[in-house]
Amino acid sequence: MSELIVILLSMALINNIILVRYLGLCPFLGVSRELKPSFSMGMAVTFVMLVASLATWVINHYVLIRFNIEYMYIIVFILVIASLVQVIELFIKKTNFALYSAFGIYLPLITTNCAVLGVTIINMMENYTLLASLVSALGSGLGFTLVMAVMAGIREKLDLADAPKSMRGAPVALITATLLGLAFFGFSGIV
Amino acid sequence: MSDSRKEFVKGLITTNPVFVLLLGLCPALAVSTSIDNALGMTLATFIVLLGANIIIAAIRGFVPSITRIPIFIVIIATLVTVVNLLFNAFLPDLHRTLGIYLPLVVVNCMILGRAEAFASKNPMIRSIADALGMTVGFMIALVMISFVRQLLGTGEMSVFGFSIFTLPVLSEHPLAMFILPPGGFLVLGLLLALLRWRGVLKI
Amino acid sequence: MQVRDALKKAFPVILLTVVVAICVSLLTAVGGITLPRIEAMERERILGMLSDMFPDMTRYSLEEEIYTIYKDEDAIGYAFIAVGRGYGGDVNILVGLEDEATVKGITIISHTETPGLGSKIAEDLFTDQFASADIDDVALTRDGGRIDAVTGATVSARAVADAVRSTAREKIDLIRGD
Repeated sequence: MSELIVILLSMALINNIILVRYLGLCPFLGVSRELKPSFSMGMAVTFVMLVASLATWVINHYVLIRFNIEYMYIIVFILVIASLVQVIELFIKKTNFALYSAFGIYLPLITTNCAVLGVTIINMMENYTLLASLVSALGSGLGFTLVMAVMAGIREKLDLADAPKSMRGAPVALITATLLGLAFFGFSGIV
Repeated sequence: MSDSRKEFVKGLITTNPVFVLLLGLCPALAVSTSIDNALGMTLATFIVLLGANIIIAAIRGFVPSITRIPIFIVIIATLVTVVNLLFNAFLPDLHRTLGIYLPLVVVNCMILGRAEAFASKNPMIRSIADALGMTVGFMIALVMISFVRQLLGTGEMSVFGFSIFTLPVLSEHPLAMFILPPGGFLVLGLLLALLRWRGVLKI
Repeated sequence: MQVRDALKKAFPVILLTVVVAICVSLLTAVGGITLPRIEAMERERILGMLSDMFPDMTRYSLEEEIYTIYKDEDAIGYAFIAVGRGYGGDVNILVGLEDEATVKGITIISHTETPGLGSKIAEDLFTDQFASADIDDVALTRDGGRIDAVTGATVSARAVADAVRSTAREKIDLIRGD
């Protein structure tokens, strides 16, 4: 049990997927301008991470390891994630239109979101059990959502600031990320 | 020929993948803690990007648009797996330091982006020129970032094990923050601002 | 005519299948060439670490994941791989034992701890502390042992110390059981 809590906290805060592992930077710099879409994007990513971790764990253990072709994991994982995203998109479009309009538009972007593939590869390299993989996916997703939301909150204010012309946009966002990253170092002592 | 030269040169500054297109930031920041790692990542990206552009420019005539993206992803993933295996077998130390970021080359938006936006619409020679230009642009960005991070974060400059110079005070009291993840954001942010301020990059 | 239409519709699927088949067979070929080499190099790396740790080693035997180190015909020590859980993930440690109660030394085989902080556990300053330590003393000073943690890397350091101690006890039971 305590091991699962360590994984959850480590993935969400200490080794935050955006600030420490640099995964999912495209949506971080692109989408995180307003609070609401950032939050929806975060939820969509968390959901896909959970499903993808489940699917890749099963495939890794019952196909790749069994037939001794673990080295094919890159091509297999990316195809699994791409088809999963398609299926999820179709499914929520048909069943729950409110949900679809909330985060459906972000789903196609997620296929090439390195955070999702990153989490599944980390789970595989760490030899996590199924439960640990799911916890690690949950932690990563929550950490992703948290940083996206915090960043959006800051940028809503930042847009009003009178920054020098050459600093506007990406540079100032990156420097905000620096400060956030330093702040997150404060979490390293909590486990 | 001047056409290909144009495709090559544009990748260096005007559409530099990292500084202008803001693509491939994840590897650019993750491995830029030392120049060695930056060059290793550039090599991996180069092999995959060149291979992908060549193959995709060759088959672009008969790939229906509906399966274009899945086929590109399969081709890129295959090339990344090949590079991953080759690095593991022949450059094991580099393979260990690049770690998870080597398989993640597959989702480097720069590669799929170039395949989709350029190689699928242009003939072979120009696609090769585009891949070369993008790689050199990627390398310029990575070497600039990692030069600053390695210099300030360790206080000494060495490439492939050869020490070039050592800074007097910094080498004893290095600013470890520059090696740490937030340092990557800081260096890239300030570099971008500097290049824009000096007019190297258009805003 | 109908056959042709059906073919036209199926073409993307067939093409994708063909591409995947070509890619997979290519990978199987590359894997067949590189995998034996990767395994051989990994074995060689462990062997190099073992001979650094036991300079007198002339040969070793590997049984139930325990390396027994021989100088000519005398067993001069044991070695095994311990796995600790740090922040970034697994830390693989090669542990050498002088006898059934004393550590000869440790080497970090691989880790994914934060560069600049947790990564210090792989440096000599930290690992040298384990040389000639009594197994029961292998723990951080704040946990009552003799190993000083590295600044900013307490969790990683504790993961290493705890993994070395608990795995050593398990393996010693196995060695005695033989």
